[in-house]
Amino acid sequence: MAASAGNTIDPIHQFQVNKIVPINLFGQDVSFSNASLFMAIVVLSILGLMVYGTRKQALIPGRLQAAAEMSYEFVAATVRGSAGQEGMRFFPLVFSLFMFVLFSNLIGLVPYTFTVTSQILVTFAFAALVILTVLLYGFWRHGLHFLRLFVPSGVSPALLWFVMLIEVISFLSRPISLSVRLFANMLAGHITLKVFGGFVAMLMGAGAWAALAPLPLLGVVALTALELLVAVLQAYVFAILTCVYLNDAIHPGH
Amino acid sequence: MIENDRSDDEALKARLERLASALQNKRNEEPRKSASDDASASTTGRALNLGVRVLSEFVAGIIVGLVIGLVLDNWFSTKPLFLIVFLAFGTAAGFYNVYRIAAGPQARNGGSS
Repeated sequence: MAASAGNTIDPIHQFQVNKIVPINLFGQDVSFSNASLFMAIVVLSILGLMVYGTRKQALIPGRLQAAAEMSYEFVAATVRGSAGQEGMRFFPLVFSLFMFVLFSNLIGLVPYTFTVTSQILVTFAFAALVILTVLLYGFWRHGLHFLRLFVPSGVSPALLWFVMLIEVISFLSRPISLSVRLFANMLAGHITLKVFGGFVAMLMGAGAWAALAPLPLLGVVALTALELLVAVLQAYVFAILTCVYLNDAIHPGH
Repeated sequence: MIENDRSDDEALKARLERLASALQNKRNEEPRKSASDDASASTTGRALNLGVRVLSEFVAGIIVGLVIGLVLDNWFSTKPLFLIVFLAFGTAAGFYNVYRIAAGPQARNGGSS
């Protein structure tokens, strides 16, 4: 991560999207970029884990099969816990989101890789997908009764319009907070790692001060551990909040 | 023969009851287990997560208010009016989001009872 070639260390450089294969389709820029490459890598690694891991279907699972089964059971328990048994119909959506975010975060921690989830567009697309699913399913399932989600019970009529307005704004803020949280965690973590790595490189080139270089290096080691925690935690938070929002679509206005 | 059948039935019934009560016990245990799992998880990670969550929910409410205000002002060309009003609403919504995190999932129907 401290591997910037020149003397200047640019912590933002790692987030640049570069075109690998420029493609122009019907006037739209659909180039294959490094972001697309790492999305493909993420999807292929998930597929690899799931297909290769469960290929034997052994009664006593091996390591890969155990990992595949644990990820399934973990997400299934999360969905059942926060959206109920009925929420299991959204299990494919939640599982895909969780695995994609988890693998993007983890693969992004490897030096020289690109973190797909550090792009606000990607995370916002996921959050918009979740909220659109909530809206469409809510209206399809409950019709206009879904709007009771915005009408809390036990509020005096004089204040009702105000509380409803606040509820609507609060609902609209969900996709923003969902996407910004994941994006900001990834962005901030990677910038911090890069800056600390830059300290090591700068101290090494500063004569006698090089004696201090191990200090930020220790910092990088500790931060990498913290980032590993954050990577897993944010994937989990994304999945559990998705379940909470889907629960609103299944049982509105309670 | 008939005697035998009846005792089989009773044995089966008793067994079913035992299984049902075992299942019920297991169901009762499960939420508690997951709660204790949460408590034993890394405290630093939980605190960090909670802080970022509160921050993002609060800021998101304000941003939504800001955008609604700007768009309404653009439509009705009443430059600062709706911006100010909806910024206030957005801030209120942000506080409401934070309140909902702090009060837990029972806040929604807890207000009435």
